[in-house]
Amino acid sequence: MSSPALEVSGLNKRFGGLPATRNVSLSVMPGERRLIIGPNGAGKTTLFNLVTGDLTADAGSVKLFGRELLGMRTQDRVHLGLARTYQILTLFPREPLVHNVVLSLLGLDARRWNPWSILTRNRDLYDNARAALERVGLGDSADRIVHETSYGERRRLELAMALAHKPKVLLLDEPLAGLSQGERQTVRALLDTIPRDVTIVMIEHDMDTALGFAERITLLHYGEVIVEGTRAEVVADPRTREVYLGD
Amino acid sequence: MSRSGVIALAICTAVLLVLPWIIGNEFYVNMASQVLIYALFALSINMMLGYGGMVSLGHAGYLGIAGYACILATTAGYDQLTAAIFAVALSTAAAALFGVLSLRAPGLGFIMITLALGQIVWGIAYRANELTGGDNGIRHPARPMPFGIDIRDAPSFYYFTLVVFAIALFCIWRFSRSPFGASLMGTRDQPRRMRMLGHNVWLVRFLTFVMAGFWGSVAGVLYVYYNLFLSPHAISLQQSAEILLMAILGGASTLTGPIVGAAIITLVKNVVSSYVERWNTLLGVIFVVVIVFMPYGLVPGCKQLWARLSSRKNRKVAGATASEPAQ
Repeated sequence: MSSPALEVSGLNKRFGGLPATRNVSLSVMPGERRLIIGPNGAGKTTLFNLVTGDLTADAGSVKLFGRELLGMRTQDRVHLGLARTYQILTLFPREPLVHNVVLSLLGLDARRWNPWSILTRNRDLYDNARAALERVGLGDSADRIVHETSYGERRRLELAMALAHKPKVLLLDEPLAGLSQGERQTVRALLDTIPRDVTIVMIEHDMDTALGFAERITLLHYGEVIVEGTRAEVVADPRTREVYLGD
Repeated sequence: MSRSGVIALAICTAVLLVLPWIIGNEFYVNMASQVLIYALFALSINMMLGYGGMVSLGHAGYLGIAGYACILATTAGYDQLTAAIFAVALSTAAAALFGVLSLRAPGLGFIMITLALGQIVWGIAYRANELTGGDNGIRHPARPMPFGIDIRDAPSFYYFTLVVFAIALFCIWRFSRSPFGASLMGTRDQPRRMRMLGHNVWLVRFLTFVMAGFWGSVAGVLYVYYNLFLSPHAISLQQSAEILLMAILGGASTLTGPIVGAAIITLVKNVVSSYVERWNTLLGVIFVVVIVFMPYGLVPGCKQLWARLSSRKNRKVAGATASEPAQ
């Protein structure tokens, strides 16, 4: 068996007296699609923030293809092939869509240190950025300003910025949040086009759309892993029902 | 650059080139040199403020370090070029140290640390009597002779300043359009996202801090050449605040804003003060009025106003010619 793409073990995080992540362990295999579910406040986004380094863990270990990430700066984790999208859109609203993706591409490009060349003359960057937008169906909107686009388009831009990095492990934080039924199907179809060399961990509330996407599901509750298993196992588990429906 | 931009640049260059002839009067030619020096200060602080969102209240510190270093090295017998290079290098190195210290804290903490560092430089200048002459200040022996050209009189000094200013402006313009500049503006708007895109936010800010310090130091050496004198009064907190206000008044985050702001504040300070006693009040009123009506500063405000006026004119024309009502 190959080593996991993402391996979290014994991860703990407290905010003051409140434990947000309690001894969380999970391991995601290369190419796997993993869904993380759980009620509000279950610590799903906190888990992502610990993996990316937005938050510092109190204890535990997070390994990306066997390399320890904890103690590493966020940008270094990104350079190892980690990418994420945000549940709350985090974009550059006054810039054109294409500029958002160019900033994303620059993050992995040594040219980002160049204070002398004219950015817009770096044709290849813009071609790549447009290609990334094309991929999420925003090719025609590349030159529009972000704040003039619809919410659904911004969600797809989030995705384009993450995919532009050609990540090895992609963390998607509620990529369907706030979308209409039609847009959900579009984004869902888009997720299906991501090749299997990208490992995906996704937080999502919309079970109808998300369940079909993931092979394995992890259920978090009060910062703890309650149930983990295949789709059928988790759905059938009485604890899932208890958490979601109450007893 | 757009065609109107090229035309505007050509006109400005032409005006700046013939300015001493237009003005004639030596007092006002010197004023023009002073405007250019302050414009360079304002441009340098704006690299941090406008593009990086970092508010510094210690920028006069670079004037202090570069200025005193230049004077002391020249008095110690080094030639002018060596003294200037030494001064700028020392002051830029100090900027690196200041950057490490102040970038530890975000937001308000950053402002307070830069303020404290600027005050430390001021305090040393004030107290180190033997070195800096304390409150009395010290004189710079003479202006340099770059490439053997005499720049003692007002017009030739103006051209010397203009050349340095033009080089700096070109570099800062490139900076603002560069990949690095784009990354810097990204870290200003979304630092967390920039990290997640692989950018080293701290290093981007630090390098900007050092570059701003470098151009501030160059302006500091020019200041000493112009006044041939430096005292702690020139590097007080008020100086730092004024430089900051120039950038804000003209419009931070634009390239031309700080230049406009520097021109207005310098002119009010020097010209109006000879007619009106309460020129400080006038400066305050100008500042309040601009910020109330043009919160992003004069240059962006005027651009917006111009766009609104011209669109209204266009609408009128369209309304007169077309049968459908204008929207």
